[in-house]
Amino acid sequence: MAKARALVKRRKAVRNIRKITRTMELIATARFKKAMDRATQAAAYTRKINEIVADLAKANLSFSHPLLQKPAEEKNVTLLVLTSNRGLCGGYNGGILRAARARLRELEAEGKHVTLEVSGKRGQAFFKFEGTPISQAYSQFEDKPGFDEVNAIASRYVGDFLAGRLHRLDVAYQKFQSAARQGPAVETLLPIGDLASGAGETSSGRPIDYEFLPTAQEILDEIVPAAFKARFFKVFLDAAVGEQIARRVAMKAATENADEMIRDISMKYNRARQTQITSELAEIIGGAAALE
Amino acid sequence: MIAATQLRLVLVTPETTLVDAPATSIVAPMFDGQLGILPGRTPAVGRLGTGELRFQGEGGEQRYFIDGGFLQIKGSVVTVLTHEARPVSSIDLGAAEQALQQANGLVARTDEEAASKLHAQQRARRMIALRRGR
Repeated sequence: MAKARALVKRRKAVRNIRKITRTMELIATARFKKAMDRATQAAAYTRKINEIVADLAKANLSFSHPLLQKPAEEKNVTLLVLTSNRGLCGGYNGGILRAARARLRELEAEGKHVTLEVSGKRGQAFFKFEGTPISQAYSQFEDKPGFDEVNAIASRYVGDFLAGRLHRLDVAYQKFQSAARQGPAVETLLPIGDLASGAGETSSGRPIDYEFLPTAQEILDEIVPAAFKARFFKVFLDAAVGEQIARRVAMKAATENADEMIRDISMKYNRARQTQITSELAEIIGGAAALE
Repeated sequence: MIAATQLRLVLVTPETTLVDAPATSIVAPMFDGQLGILPGRTPAVGRLGTGELRFQGEGGEQRYFIDGGFLQIKGSVVTVLTHEARPVSSIDLGAAEQALQQANGLVARTDEEAASKLHAQQRARRMIALRRGR
């Protein structure tokens, strides 16, 4: 009797957890779609910027901008780590933090002065546990990072870089390759290595003779920071999409696991019940036989 | 060659594409003043300033407030890349006035701060002027 009761209780608990994981899966799916839409819409801006950059490149300009050049000394490095605020998203945070820590060690081994900035409560908790001081912590970025908020951070980096206080900016985040493929990556965003990368598709056809208002050089001065900001924003969007995908996958697995457990427990429960009935019957028959 | 009679205006912000519509004429705020664009204009790339973007579309004249960015004219397609754009009708007058007061209250000690103060003031003033209909 006791065993069958315990199994019923256990099955009920598993069912409740399954309800929660299933709901979380559905929410993550809906959020993923929204985040994905935002990411695709934002891609139009980056594409256009790249197109203008490619057009500028054809105007025989010398591409020289402080943001493009590697500073003479590379001492102050900022590592920005983008993690999620909430857990239950499988290996999402673990992967990013592993990559970030590896880069951190590498930079420290090279004797650089590393400033660590972390977005997301998960990452903050991790580095607190590690005992690594965090100079800036953000937790306002959820699944819909706004350009204004991201822009404020990007402007600070640009200012620091131009003033020579910052020599390199690395970002550790979940890189989005396709809906089925993402992985943790650490990328150097400042100095901008190759501005024209990904701008190849516009090179077909004969070059257009543009009129530059005011001059090509001035447009370049302005477009380089804009290109950096667009990239920086994309990193945040990628991270938001990646988080939702990771959560969806993790919750799907959890739901399936719960289903399996419910089946298993149900079977055990039925067996226990049957054994119980059999033994009760045997008792009754035994009692009746004794009376005869 | 037949002269072009139509333009296509694409207004893009980092977050989304706000407008993608045919237009017959466009007036864009450049860094040094307004620039009128009619069909058949030569290709150009320009720097935008702060102010009003207005264009004649299918549903009459439409007005947007934009802040900085780039303008690209390529064939009949006019692309406006800006980091802030909103319809003039959605400007919050109270918030803009508050922003202006805040900007006025800034103390600029360096050139950069002075530039950002000037920009914030201009941005707020233009917004208020546009909302009030000048």
